[in-house]
Amino acid sequence: MTERSTPRWRQASTAVWLVAGLLALLFPVLEHNAAYQQIGVYTLIFTACATSWNMFSGYSGYVNLGAGVSYGTGAYTMAIVSRHLDPNNAQGGASLFWVCLLSGVAAMVVAYPIGLVALRVRRHTFVVITIAIFFTFQLIAINASFTGGTGGLFLPYIPWNASYYDVPFYYVGLAMVIFAIVLSALVRRSRFGLQLLAIRDDEDRAMGLGVEVGKIKLTGYVMSAFTIGMCGGLFALLQGQIYPQFVFNPLFDISIALMCFFGGFGTLVGPILGAVVLESSQQYLTVQYSNGSLYLILFGALFLVVILFMPQGIVVFIRQKRKQRSDRRIAALGAQ
Amino acid sequence: MGALTDGVLTGSVYALMATGLTLVFGVMDIINVAQGIFVILGAYLSYTLQVHFGIDLFLGLLITIPTMFLVGIVIERAFLARLKGPEKTAMSILVTYAISLVIEGLLNEIFSVNNVQLSASYVNESFKLFGIYLPYIYLDGFLLAIGLLGALYFMLYRTRFGASIRASLADQSAAALVGIDVKKVSTICFGIGIAVTAAGGMIFGATNSFNASTSYDLISRLLTIIVLGGMGSLAGALVAGILMVTLEDLVGVLWSPVWSTMSFFVVLIIVLSLRPQGLFGKQSARVA
Amino acid sequence: MKKNAMALRSLGIIGVAAATLLTMSTVSGAAPKARGTASVIKIGISLSLSGDFSADGIAYKQGYQLWAKDVNAAGGLMGHPVQLVILSDASDPTQVVTNYKTLISTDHVNLVFGPFSSLLTLPSAEAVSRYGYAMVEGAGGAPSVFSANLKNVFDVTLPVAFDLQPFAKWVKALPSATRPKSIFYVTSNDPFTQPVVDTARSMIGSSIKSVGHLVFPSEATDWKSIADQVATAKPDAVVLGSVDVPTVSAFMLAFQQMHYTPKIFVCTAGPDQGRAFTSAVGAKNADGMMVPNSWYGGSVNPMSKRMVSEYVTQYGGTASGVNADIAEAYSVGQTVAAAVKATGGTDNAKIMTYLHSGVTIATVQGAVKFNSLGENLSQTAYTFQWQKAGTAFVQVNPVGDKASVAIEYPKNAWGK
Repeated sequence: MTERSTPRWRQASTAVWLVAGLLALLFPVLEHNAAYQQIGVYTLIFTACATSWNMFSGYSGYVNLGAGVSYGTGAYTMAIVSRHLDPNNAQGGASLFWVCLLSGVAAMVVAYPIGLVALRVRRHTFVVITIAIFFTFQLIAINASFTGGTGGLFLPYIPWNASYYDVPFYYVGLAMVIFAIVLSALVRRSRFGLQLLAIRDDEDRAMGLGVEVGKIKLTGYVMSAFTIGMCGGLFALLQGQIYPQFVFNPLFDISIALMCFFGGFGTLVGPILGAVVLESSQQYLTVQYSNGSLYLILFGALFLVVILFMPQGIVVFIRQKRKQRSDRRIAALGAQ
Repeated sequence: MGALTDGVLTGSVYALMATGLTLVFGVMDIINVAQGIFVILGAYLSYTLQVHFGIDLFLGLLITIPTMFLVGIVIERAFLARLKGPEKTAMSILVTYAISLVIEGLLNEIFSVNNVQLSASYVNESFKLFGIYLPYIYLDGFLLAIGLLGALYFMLYRTRFGASIRASLADQSAAALVGIDVKKVSTICFGIGIAVTAAGGMIFGATNSFNASTSYDLISRLLTIIVLGGMGSLAGALVAGILMVTLEDLVGVLWSPVWSTMSFFVVLIIVLSLRPQGLFGKQSARVA
Repeated sequence: MKKNAMALRSLGIIGVAAATLLTMSTVSGAAPKARGTASVIKIGISLSLSGDFSADGIAYKQGYQLWAKDVNAAGGLMGHPVQLVILSDASDPTQVVTNYKTLISTDHVNLVFGPFSSLLTLPSAEAVSRYGYAMVEGAGGAPSVFSANLKNVFDVTLPVAFDLQPFAKWVKALPSATRPKSIFYVTSNDPFTQPVVDTARSMIGSSIKSVGHLVFPSEATDWKSIADQVATAKPDAVVLGSVDVPTVSAFMLAFQQMHYTPKIFVCTAGPDQGRAFTSAVGAKNADGMMVPNSWYGGSVNPMSKRMVSEYVTQYGGTASGVNADIAEAYSVGQTVAAAVKATGGTDNAKIMTYLHSGVTIATVQGAVKFNSLGENLSQTAYTFQWQKAGTAFVQVNPVGDKASVAIEYPKNAWGK
């Protein structure tokens, strides 16, 4: 990141980020259109999930395609607990936001045994095992009685007016995003994070150097489940009812991974960028191309182009371009 | 008894489709989540040949298998061969998922979303064996699947090219060192992996009605089969495929259909906790 | 310090996105206002044009469009032309909510019509209730939709649980000599089919000996082993709780392969899909298959006849091949149109009061009259059957109804 170190650049970038950050904070105040507010909330949920997913999978190289397990567990925890707390629909919604914390904890509790089993294999096999475990959870949700089966579960109805319904969700989502980013940044800078990165580079070598790879991987996996679980809880509350196939959604798994690869796998900013760009463009495409099959073809083709031309994601792509440019400049200076 | 025969017969077809998937993974470290849509594509090819050209389902395979082989080769060359690096496996899922979206969209455009089913006299008729009715299509499908699997095994274990595939399965870099053109092997392998879906798709389409979105059910089943059998293990795919369908049918008959799918996943979880690499998987290089 | 910078930067990116959304919304929000003429009545609809419900979603779209075309041809609603704004939700309950919010806050639609399936109806009804909009729909008849106790939901179609009532009455009333001796109930554990089969089962009770009751998971794909169990019991009658064509066709194929023809084979859904059904199973095999529904293409209702002939002119096919979804969608349009005329405008609060007032509205599906939950109980359920080697889809129940023709009982052998 040396190319960023000129004081002028630093000042300019701080100013840009400051303005943009302020916008993020003020978004619901400036934007009263509920549809866009809701897209804002979903974007935040995906941003938090992608950041958290990247904190384990991006740093360690163990690509988890079963993040939906944490998300779904969080959503069902929220649904079951909130129904229990507020069986008569009496309290309204705001008092239920704290249940998200429980959703996060539940997701961690579930993640622990999964991690114990799934993390024992090569990382290529790990990818598929996480998918298989994901489908197991989806099936349980479909067939068990405490989940309401395919009929789904209904949460207490929140009687807020449409014009500010999404606002509290937006700020809770924003808090989750900030939490996920700070946690991810802290991990990256810590000894624990370095160990994760060492596993990604060469697991055998890391083990040779005395890294307790099993323990480190498991810790990272369980930690990343927390925020994803909280987001699942928030989603359930926002949505008002949940169905197994939509909270244990294979598309969720793929989207999260795609966002991270698109933005920059293993980088801090990449997942945020990926989530923001992909979530909003997907919403846009859906609305624009109401013809279903055309949408599929376009989305798939776009998706292919991006992966093939920027396999390491936007952030790495831009960094490389900038580096090339500064290298050229240095070379030119040297030639003079 | 009926459930048992059904299980073995249908299971062998799943095994055939899963073999393509596990072969591709073993040789290339690529997980082809488009396998489900390729099965459906194969089924639609048979459907088109039958409806528009009046070509018999089994005879049509002479056309559809090479076609699907070519489709596989093109896709491998155009997209998958470009994937490199440690995240290749994960990237391959994204790439093949994108491919499956495009194909799904195209199939919806061409064939609409209405379900269709392949029909032929041997689809509706059956014969009596030990007191149970056995539909011809199940028997024919079983024979076809076993025949193709046999041919595949023969190719792998009795030919030079097969030897180079097996070498690549065992260790890619070592295979490259002894002068095997791993790139070429990969391309052909992917072609074979897709070609089997032409046969699998035809039998699937004759025993189930389908449209493009049926592929989602298929791919989740195929993936769990190869996880249970052991990723990259051909024998594993065969055993797990048959085991899955038989188990589901038996539980459905003896207990309740609600738990039939679950039962397979219970077995899967138990096996994975004892042997994370699956029934026939290679022991992982490192045990943490 | 550096950590703060990181967090700030990330916040910044979200800010940029927020700014993009703001611009997008300003642009899209401004456009219709500039162009829009006050006299157009805009109706917002989210439909599943791709995904699991796409077959029904597309049929619904045709039904709504047909209604709009007819209204506009007749001079519009109280002189105002009607304009449909349709968004696709890809069968996703999250997207459907976003869509209705977009329709109301960006497109400024005056009214909304319902999406397809109860799964999507409930979240969208909740969302539009926050704006005080009425949700008149034709495909949200599951108990869950009404148990949410929303004041703005109106389902023009008879609640699904009652679907098999006329069938149950007919079969019970058969003289004991000809009445089926045994019956098998087999159903998907789906919230929309299980209540139908359970109601029929309790109505038929012990008048026919039940030789089996099986529930299978709704995500099952291998129906053969389940169907084989039914065939092995050789019941005279089979009641199948199915959600779609693939389930029914799998059972039919398995029965055929097992050389078993039930005398009665009634399914909760599938055979009602017109051409989509006959093309999947083959017309000859469709013969004798029965399905409950609130409407069919050959209905003698004059309104319905007109609609069907228009549909056939526009999209081709035959009257019996017209999907019941078309009529459901059309009825939604007619119900809302009646409410708009009666209340003199598009005030949603007045429309809801009017629809709750117990008035009866005539639609292509028959009479619509809502109870306090928004259910339409005044409609009669019918049972339909494919006859004449699968070329005709006719009403056979209720028996006394003048439009009913003689039931094909026992059902012919497969392919005859």
